[in-house]
Amino acid sequence: MSYTLRGRLESRLAALVLPLVVACALAGGLRTWWPIELAGLMGAVGVALDLVYHRPIRYQPGWAALPLGVLELGVLMALVRVLQLHAPLAAALGFFAAAWLWAQALGHALLPFWRLSWSEDGGELGRAGVAVAAAFVLLFAGSGAVWWHGLPPTVHLAAGIHRGPIFIDRRERLVGDGAAVVLGGIVVRHSDVTISHVRVIGGDNGIVVDGAQRVVLDHVSVSRASGDGIHVRHASVTIRHCDIDMLGSQYGQGIDISYGMLQGDSVVERCTVVGGQDGIVAHGSMAMIMHNHVERTTMTAISMTEMSMGMVGHNTVRNALGIGILCGDRSICEIERNAVAGTRRDDATGNKMRAGFGLEVEFGAEAELSRNDLAANPRSMGVFLNSIVRWR
Amino acid sequence: MPRVAIVGGGLAGFVAYLTLRRGGVEDVTVFSTEADPAAAWRRRAAAIRQTHMRSESDGHCLPTSFPGLAVREARRRRSLTPLAASVCNRYHPTVESFVGHVEEQRAASGWQPVLERIERVRAVDGGFELDSHGTFEHVLLATGPPGPVLPEELRSDNRAVHAYEPHEYAESVCVLGAGLAAATEWRNALAAGSRVISVRRREPVRRPLNVPREYLTRRRLSGFHRLGREERARLLKELLAPSFPPGSEWDEPLASDRFTVESRVNGADQVICATGFLHGFRHDPLLARLVAVHDLATANGWIELSPDSTVPALTDESRTLAVAGVAAQWAYPAADTLMGARYAAHGFLRRCRTR
Repeated sequence: MSYTLRGRLESRLAALVLPLVVACALAGGLRTWWPIELAGLMGAVGVALDLVYHRPIRYQPGWAALPLGVLELGVLMALVRVLQLHAPLAAALGFFAAAWLWAQALGHALLPFWRLSWSEDGGELGRAGVAVAAAFVLLFAGSGAVWWHGLPPTVHLAAGIHRGPIFIDRRERLVGDGAAVVLGGIVVRHSDVTISHVRVIGGDNGIVVDGAQRVVLDHVSVSRASGDGIHVRHASVTIRHCDIDMLGSQYGQGIDISYGMLQGDSVVERCTVVGGQDGIVAHGSMAMIMHNHVERTTMTAISMTEMSMGMVGHNTVRNALGIGILCGDRSICEIERNAVAGTRRDDATGNKMRAGFGLEVEFGAEAELSRNDLAANPRSMGVFLNSIVRWR
Repeated sequence: MPRVAIVGGGLAGFVAYLTLRRGGVEDVTVFSTEADPAAAWRRRAAAIRQTHMRSESDGHCLPTSFPGLAVREARRRRSLTPLAASVCNRYHPTVESFVGHVEEQRAASGWQPVLERIERVRAVDGGFELDSHGTFEHVLLATGPPGPVLPEELRSDNRAVHAYEPHEYAESVCVLGAGLAAATEWRNALAAGSRVISVRRREPVRRPLNVPREYLTRRRLSGFHRLGREERARLLKELLAPSFPPGSEWDEPLASDRFTVESRVNGADQVICATGFLHGFRHDPLLARLVAVHDLATANGWIELSPDSTVPALTDESRTLAVAGVAAQWAYPAADTLMGARYAAHGFLRRCRTR
């Protein structure tokens, strides 16, 4: 087929209407946005590539749909990753494959059969094409309106000092304007809460998330908390770009995510934690701990323990006492591309398992390792008490 | 219900008839000299011993490009091979399969032409008078190629035969031309053990279909239609240059030492003129008369048609005169193919339905 540009776009949109309807139904049924986001992204990628294809591909033989489909899938999945769309991989691939097959059936059989002059019109659909484009825009705009309507209210915290603790018991976006400081901590007790650009000083714990899901802490900083910097219990959180200062705290952890196994994945990424017993610790939780910098901890810099599952990757650890990264107590960990250096021996405890290990796997834990830099430590790695290590 | 007529019952007329039926136009009268729409085409294919079509799966008589002949064959053979070949542009239906398809459609469609040659089309108020058959509001002229081209200097040469006339092969055969018929004759004569001399004015163009594929759709057609008369005539001449498909099945036989290319007809035992058909309205008495009587605009032997293959001077709100087949190349360069027939038929159907 030698498509005209309009023909390409109209045929593309015609093929996307059904997947978008299915995505809306899925989103409603699963109470999640990723199907619509994925369908929208598929449309955007498809239309963008159509604009690119138009000039070089004067004639598109039937077989070309396969390599072009693979290219589109590659671009789509890259964007899914970059935009951090929370689409399960298998479901996303299945959705794309089904939509692609539908597009082929439509382009090779249904449209040429339904519209007499589809081929000679270069894929253009005439007035139906306008209707199709309108349907696509309406569906997508409708979904966007529902999404917008469902957004939690935004509360702006003015620059300056606010006495805490602040309790958040509803869906809310708490956004600090400039230098907003909360003295005495913040406590989150509701799902779908986002806190961004807020500095917390003091408090029993800096920020507490208790029994909530889909909580996002973005660009927050905590210092001088008497307990933990960020204290998460029975909850799932995404913590990004945080700055936790635990220097001077004898027993507090920088970020402590505990007992969240049933609440879903938690993510800690691009945070800096200085001081504290444990820098970042997951107890009985599923966690992704990525791209963080942790230093000067007194127990363990990064720890996944008590049957936790997850990934520890691309982190840098400096000057930890005893242990740099720990996978312990029957946890299952993927540990890759971390750089641990300057871990110090903790001879005062008399515990040989704290003899300055860059990486330690202990007590029935299983770890899969890849490309970690552990050389600049007294002991690069230790494996204890029926634990298993695999290298990739 | 308007009265609709198709003048010419060959493949182009047949495609138009099936398209009108699919579009819900019931009162269609077809005038033809033969009952079988594939009769003339079949004679020509037999003359050059053609086994496969140059066209692909969509080279059929149905009003829509899908389902094509590959689907038909896949269903018949219970195999996906024809579909896979079609997706890769490697599917070319056999002549037998195509003729079978025409037969099927002919039997299923109620095709019953009036067996009469129309000599004269006269524009009257609200339509066109076709000889003594009364007035029709919408008329499609699908009169077919006016006749084969035989070079003047060979008319009295008893060695000469046109490729589309029945013939055998002598010991030495000179083939004039460089298109698909010529290439087929080279292969045939070589297979028959003849020595073959190819005489041609230019090197043949190698391409899968008669015209570049972009000219089959609006992608390049829009630009073609926007061209001025001189430029369009020039481009049309270029597009219609003799060509045959690339591929080893065409090249390998020509590697034989019994095949040579020469610049002029020499002392060969037989001269086969694979020189195609006469082009232009002047060679078709009905069209020539139409142009003369109504003083229609022409360019380089073509009747100047609108993009939808209608004759602008004789088409208005109340009536349509359209052209299909080789004479419609001014509107659609590949008008002499089945896709071209479909293109003209679609345009004609729009006129019949909306007027």
